[in-house]
Amino acid sequence: MSLEVQLLLLAWGTLVGLDLVSVPQMMIARPLVAGPIAGAMLGDVATGLQLGVLFELFQYDILPMGATRYPEYGPATVAAVSAAHAATGTLGLGLGALVGLITGMVGGLSLHELRQLNTRAVRRAAGALEAGDPRVLERVHAAGILRDAVRAAVVTALGLVLAQVARAYLAGALPPHGVALLNVAAVGAALAAGTAGTLRLVGRGPGLRWFAAGVVGGTVVAWLR
Amino acid sequence: MSSLPSPTRARPRLVRSLLRLFTVQGSWNYERMQGIGIGVAEEALLQDLRTEGGADGVAYRAAVARGARFFNAHPYLCGLAVGAAARAEHDGVPPEQVERLRTALCGPLGSLGDRLVWAGWLPFTSGLALIGVALGLGLPAILGFVVVYNVGHVALRWWALRAGWTYGARVAQALREPLLQRATALSGPAMALVIGAALPLVAQYLSGAFFGWARLALAAVVAGGFALLWWQRARLTGLRLGLALLAVAALAGWVWL
Repeated sequence: MSLEVQLLLLAWGTLVGLDLVSVPQMMIARPLVAGPIAGAMLGDVATGLQLGVLFELFQYDILPMGATRYPEYGPATVAAVSAAHAATGTLGLGLGALVGLITGMVGGLSLHELRQLNTRAVRRAAGALEAGDPRVLERVHAAGILRDAVRAAVVTALGLVLAQVARAYLAGALPPHGVALLNVAAVGAALAAGTAGTLRLVGRGPGLRWFAAGVVGGTVVAWLR
Repeated sequence: MSSLPSPTRARPRLVRSLLRLFTVQGSWNYERMQGIGIGVAEEALLQDLRTEGGADGVAYRAAVARGARFFNAHPYLCGLAVGAAARAEHDGVPPEQVERLRTALCGPLGSLGDRLVWAGWLPFTSGLALIGVALGLGLPAILGFVVVYNVGHVALRWWALRAGWTYGARVAQALREPLLQRATALSGPAMALVIGAALPLVAQYLSGAFFGWARLALAAVVAGGFALLWWQRARLTGLRLGLALLAVAALAGWVWL
């Protein structure tokens, strides 16, 4: 993979990481968007779509509410696509999922650290903020966004390095049935997480009947295809 | 009390405030949460107050300071609080009442936004995109998701800001809008139906390359993983389950040599 493509992925991962919380929350941070675009950059949209769908299911397991801590699957999906792309036919989904889940965990931890840094910055500026100084207010805010951009870039870079290491040491190390097992584990965990997360959202009320109707309809369509 | 600019004159300021609202969580922190971002967005609507309260803009600075204090709600609906607080400042509402208004809005705006967007519009549109990808639409399904989702997203942000600015301290009236009530009531069932339909199609899409024992193993992993996530929901997350299963699979594959 050329340096230009790696830099392109790094830039895309940074934008995706910024979108999650800071700017502008237009959902390019969703794996379903982050993955296929990363795939298109690599000339492998199919792998990007598959991993985008896979991590979108993991995303259903979390609700990004308030101060809750959650994994960050946007830059993780970019790294996952990068890992899976070069390993297509050998490891594919399983390798991508492994790299993506580790990167997602690191991303989640980094968000907590970022919030701590922002808290310290706000405390330092408390006097000026209480005096209503608009320049300090804007500076504190802009610094927070800049910090998040750096955080997103670092998480994406770590993910891309991890992808490189995984490709170098794992691709080819497992026999075909081991590869299949890894793929089964990745898809199985994603489907389980997606289903459990959705059912937690739906609850036991009338929504459950709509969910059941959807499952029946989706199964029929899948059967007929 | 300052003379309020007419809606037409206020529009450029509302637009500036809206643009700043897209960054509302940029400085999210554990002390003031969204407070700083809210303050930055509100400042665009407070500039008229610079000439009030003396040459050094005492009223303006006091309003800016209040605007940047603790606040937390759904990011798409923060505009309602920004517009309402800015309008109340212009209307000469006493400072403690402006503070109470901001505090009172946190809970309702958070809960409404979570139900309407995080648990409604977002999974609904993303579920439609999943169905599109599973049915072979590819990138156009993703593009459709981004466009459709953001039409709703931007419309909601703009409505919230304008409603807050229009109603001021009487902003609770805006939350009783029939369209908003209907959208909240419909979004849950619609989301459930669409994701319910998406799951079997996505399962088929992702398992397309699996044959024989792999399909049986997949069914077992999904059932077992779901049961674990459901009954151990306080301790187990999808991420932990995924990492654990991948570790077991890698070990089993390596032993199976």
